Amino acid sequence: MKQLITEEERKTAFKFPKKEDAIERQRLPVRYHVEDFDVENRPRRFLEAFAAILKHTNYRFVLDHYVKVSAKCSRCAVACQVYQATGDNEDIPCYRSELLLSVYRRHFTMSGMLRGRIFGDPGLTDQHVQEMADSLWNCTACRRCYFECPVGIDHGMITHLGRYILSEIGIAPRALVVSTREQLIGKTQNTSAIPVPALLDSLEFLSEEMEEEKGINIPFPIDQEGAEYLFIPAVSDFLMEADTLMGNAAVFKATGGSWTIGTGYFDGINYGLFYSDHVLEKVVQKIEAEAKRLNAKKILIGECGHASRSAYFFYPTFCGGKNALPVINCMEYAFQALKEGRLKLNPDIVTERVTYHDPCNISRPGWIVEQPREILKAFCKNFVEMTPNRRDNICCGGGGGTVSIDEIRPYRTTVGGRAKAEQIRATGAKYCVAPCANCKKQLRELVEDNDIDCEIVGLHDLLYKAIIFDKEKEPGVTKQDNSSNNEEEI
Amino acid sequence: MHAWIEFGSGPLFRLCFALMLLGLARIVVLTIIGMVEAYLRNDDKIINWRELIGKTVSWLFPIAKLLKKRPVYSLVSFLFHIGLILTPLFLAAHLLLWEKSIGFAWFAIPQSLADYLTLIVIVCGLTLFLMRALYGPARAISRKQDYIWPLLLVIPFLTGYMCVNGRISPATYQWMMLIHIFSGNLITVMIPFTKIAHCVLTPLSQLVTGIGWKFPRGAGDKVIETLGYKDRPTWVEQPRLGLEKVTTVEKEAAEK
Repeated sequence: MKQLITEEERKTAFKFPKKEDAIERQRLPVRYHVEDFDVENRPRRFLEAFAAILKHTNYRFVLDHYVKVSAKCSRCAVACQVYQATGDNEDIPCYRSELLLSVYRRHFTMSGMLRGRIFGDPGLTDQHVQEMADSLWNCTACRRCYFECPVGIDHGMITHLGRYILSEIGIAPRALVVSTREQLIGKTQNTSAIPVPALLDSLEFLSEEMEEEKGINIPFPIDQEGAEYLFIPAVSDFLMEADTLMGNAAVFKATGGSWTIGTGYFDGINYGLFYSDHVLEKVVQKIEAEAKRLNAKKILIGECGHASRSAYFFYPTFCGGKNALPVINCMEYAFQALKEGRLKLNPDIVTERVTYHDPCNISRPGWIVEQPREILKAFCKNFVEMTPNRRDNICCGGGGGTVSIDEIRPYRTTVGGRAKAEQIRATGAKYCVAPCANCKKQLRELVEDNDIDCEIVGLHDLLYKAIIFDKEKEPGVTKQDNSSNNEEEI
Repeated sequence: MHAWIEFGSGPLFRLCFALMLLGLARIVVLTIIGMVEAYLRNDDKIINWRELIGKTVSWLFPIAKLLKKRPVYSLVSFLFHIGLILTPLFLAAHLLLWEKSIGFAWFAIPQSLADYLTLIVIVCGLTLFLMRALYGPARAISRKQDYIWPLLLVIPFLTGYMCVNGRISPATYQWMMLIHIFSGNLITVMIPFTKIAHCVLTPLSQLVTGIGWKFPRGAGDKVIETLGYKDRPTWVEQPRLGLEKVTTVEKEAAEK
């Protein structure tokens, strides 16, 4: 197989940024930093955590099924961009899953325990735990391999579970843990540690800027009770994606939607989706509490793949099943408005070539695939597709939380993202639309490190450029949307 | 010799077949119980049945997927499965045995088609074995049973073919028939206990995954309680070894 990266790049990609003594102290030669944790009896604690998780969750029947059904056909290898880049057998999705499945088979099935007794197998070793800690964070959890598995094994779920167990014994990237801590029990209650006054300041500033540029007052409604939509973007948008936020506000202004940002909780980022069901649940419930406080009718997630998926699919899971508030993505809202003729766009503004990157978390389930394309085609004359695209897209290389681990950038922009980089280069596009905070950060680093002349933008960045305001008609007249039926499969 | 053949195709086969049926029924029932338990435990009952069933059907008849990724392997594997399923069930000679054994039978496929299918299974089985042995990624994830199965599955087909076409057979009809019957019985009895169980579990996989992604509410708290973190802080609340050491790690990061 042709390898996507050179030997040279491979060496830099896998270089440890950690100091020797940290590795020795933590006994964990992985490329990401972890907090100091108890290294004694690690295998035993891993098994305890595994057992506790199996006891209280639904994973047992899934693993039982997977260990029986796995046929080891190796078809997943062709779908994994990490494997295609490194060519290391350890990066084959099925190989990675087997790391955890073998532990399950050995310690939690009758035949495995018997065999262990008969053949004197010592069971889980410290080295095996280390291997899992390394391998499970090489995966970008994009779940492309799931689509290639003839027997239907979801390697993404196994990665998710493996990371959950590891996090319970203290092994999780420090970047994620520190952010999660701030979000759940910190003062600011969000992953970027933005205090509310700073948030209000920056929103006011953005409002002023929009008035200057568009000549019309476009507000960010704050803490408005009874608004139709509670707007929850990835909190990093407030710091880094001003254009996207302005686009969101402009779309609401033009369509007359009733929306609000809550100062009690305004962070859609949910790292729990990547490494802990516990965190996943706590964060989703924070959104619920804020929606209740403000008596919002629906929850609107900003341009962010994992925030959208974790809210859309897990809000019903943790907040009341079918009675939960509907969750929609801002692109669904914009698409609905466009269809109903409430959103008008100037087709002469964006004339450069535009391409679209499907964020895995929203495209893989078949949830948001065509909506952004329809919007783009409505005002971009020169729209081109990447190949492959839609549900079969290639991950940006920073999925599964890896984008937030700054110390592994060399890995992400070579091993993780080279396939994507070549895809973008092949389109020759000036703008690559990536409606996801994670993808945007990763793709920007990717085009920079791979010397590609392409600007990474959000969908609402372009909408903001092309939007036409109906100045005669004052907003607040029509507000209708058709929230989708919340039934896509994750 | 004749008595062995009679024994193998009569009582022994019935035993093996019964064990296979019971074994397969057991794993299917266990999987379904697991699904139902999980479904009932979850608050979230929103399952996109249409999508899951669609995916299941598309994998049971993967015509559209054949040529997309690894086309040669996929095609060979697909043909292998077709021959593997059709020939034993619809061969005229087998149907006579069914008739004798359970009192009724069904339609048979023409002998020439059965011959072709048998050859296809033999060729594809050997090809699959070679592809597994020669293709790096496949070799890396293969266990012993993965190498043994394609070869084992080919044996009854090879000997069966020789029984029908005696002139290419290296040994007498009786010997070939004996190997044919006993290897067939061995395969039959091993199906539920090995990876071949995927023959009944694959149709359930998509549902298992679909329901598996729905988590029970409050499970995370219970896990933490079980692990004994009720009285001491969890990893979210505080790094395990106190803040001092973390500061050192942070300093290291800053130096970087």
